Amino acid sequence: MKSISLWRSMVPFIVSFGVAIPVWAGEPTEQIKQTTDKMISTITDPTLKNASKSEERRKLIRAAADERFDWEEMARRSLARHWTKRTDAEKREFTSLFSDLLERTYMDKVEGYSGEKVLYEGEAVDGDYAVVGVKILTAKDTEISVEYRVRRKENGWFIYDVSIEGVSLVNNYRTQFNSIILRSSYRELVKKLAAKVAKK
Amino acid sequence: MSISCRKVSLGWRVSGFHITWWILVVSALLFDALPIPGYAEPRLPFSSKGDPNTILRIDPPVRVAEGAQDVEVPGFAEPVKPIADPLEPVNRLFFHINDKFYFWLLKPVASGYAAIFPQPVRVCVRNFFDNVATPIRAANCLLQLNLEDFGNETARFVVNSTVGLAGFFDPAKKRYNIKRQEEDFGQTLGSYGIGPAFYINWPVFGPSSLRDTIGTVGDFFLTPRTYLVEFPILVNVGLATYERVNNTSLMLGEYEDLKEAALDPYVALRDAYHQFRQEKIKER
Repeated sequence: MKSISLWRSMVPFIVSFGVAIPVWAGEPTEQIKQTTDKMISTITDPTLKNASKSEERRKLIRAAADERFDWEEMARRSLARHWTKRTDAEKREFTSLFSDLLERTYMDKVEGYSGEKVLYEGEAVDGDYAVVGVKILTAKDTEISVEYRVRRKENGWFIYDVSIEGVSLVNNYRTQFNSIILRSSYRELVKKLAAKVAKK
Repeated sequence: MSISCRKVSLGWRVSGFHITWWILVVSALLFDALPIPGYAEPRLPFSSKGDPNTILRIDPPVRVAEGAQDVEVPGFAEPVKPIADPLEPVNRLFFHINDKFYFWLLKPVASGYAAIFPQPVRVCVRNFFDNVATPIRAANCLLQLNLEDFGNETARFVVNSTVGLAGFFDPAKKRYNIKRQEEDFGQTLGSYGIGPAFYINWPVFGPSSLRDTIGTVGDFFLTPRTYLVEFPILVNVGLATYERVNNTSLMLGEYEDLKEAALDPYVALRDAYHQFRQEKIKER
């Protein structure tokens, strides 16, 4: 009896599931896809392939990333409880350094693009928050699952975390930042961050 | 009959002076069973289940609970509680040793190997080793009462061992879309509600936890190689080493990327390992 009612209660869910498929590519997916396509077309653009154009190429990719990533939100979540103790100037300084590091890391990955297929696997929206699931098929016959976590603002959806194979970037940095601050100090963290960014 | 025969010889091996060999076999198998994000994990495995229409999880707003000033972080943040690390000084030491091990030995060997054998060949070799390890995954599916994936693993084994030419190819995935289920005993224990306890960074083998180390030893008993008594020990260690070199050759640059992006590579690797394992356990 119990199992029957369970099945019945699932009927509307299953039905709505079926109907939902055509509209799967909702706004968040659409916007992530736009940004990704823009980057891929820049990387694969034959007129930008030349070594002398690499600076221009990088600029274009960076601009595409800036349009979609919410660097401040990423910085806030990564510093977590340490964020609230910072002054506005400190917050700006930190966000700028952190975004440089993230952009560089992300850029290296993007620049290594060699024809991998990007599949959009679905999204889930909960109010102003959403997750966009992406699968990357590599030439080495492996699949990499990526989840973009996005937040709605007035002018679109913005990425506040990227999770690769279950490893959230923000969580990973939060653990590192917290460990460094507890061992030394916030100033020390900023020093390390600045040194890392300056290295390249 | 053959089963009882194996049991007898197993007993024979554990007793007596063969215990040294036994330890060597255990360590040899630890080689390929321990997932080491960055440099020994055979590949970044398939994360979500095969069905592309799977709805992504919606998690409730969460708190980054750290002391009195909790920060409300709504959305899909999913903070994973960091893993305990009482052995940190020792673990850090081994981290440095492993770092050198990678850059001075593993990477040069794997790079040289990659220069000789083209990528498709190395992918086939990886497929072969993956196929041989089917019993580990299948048994753990069973232990997690996951009959569907047990069936999938069995089907994959049958298809890939035959049509896939002894496992060198993966028609089960390519043609029938049956994907490999990444399951091991550490995950089985995790699915029973057992936490990782604490982080252990083994020399040579890399990141693990108390639970996953126990899991790896458990998986050893599920590996067919364990029971191939007549197999000389050197062959066993050799195979495990070769598998690791082959896998590393397909992952060159991943560990470097992690280091490049990190402010504290040790903490970054520890956390990535922990998050990765937690996700694997939750996935099921």
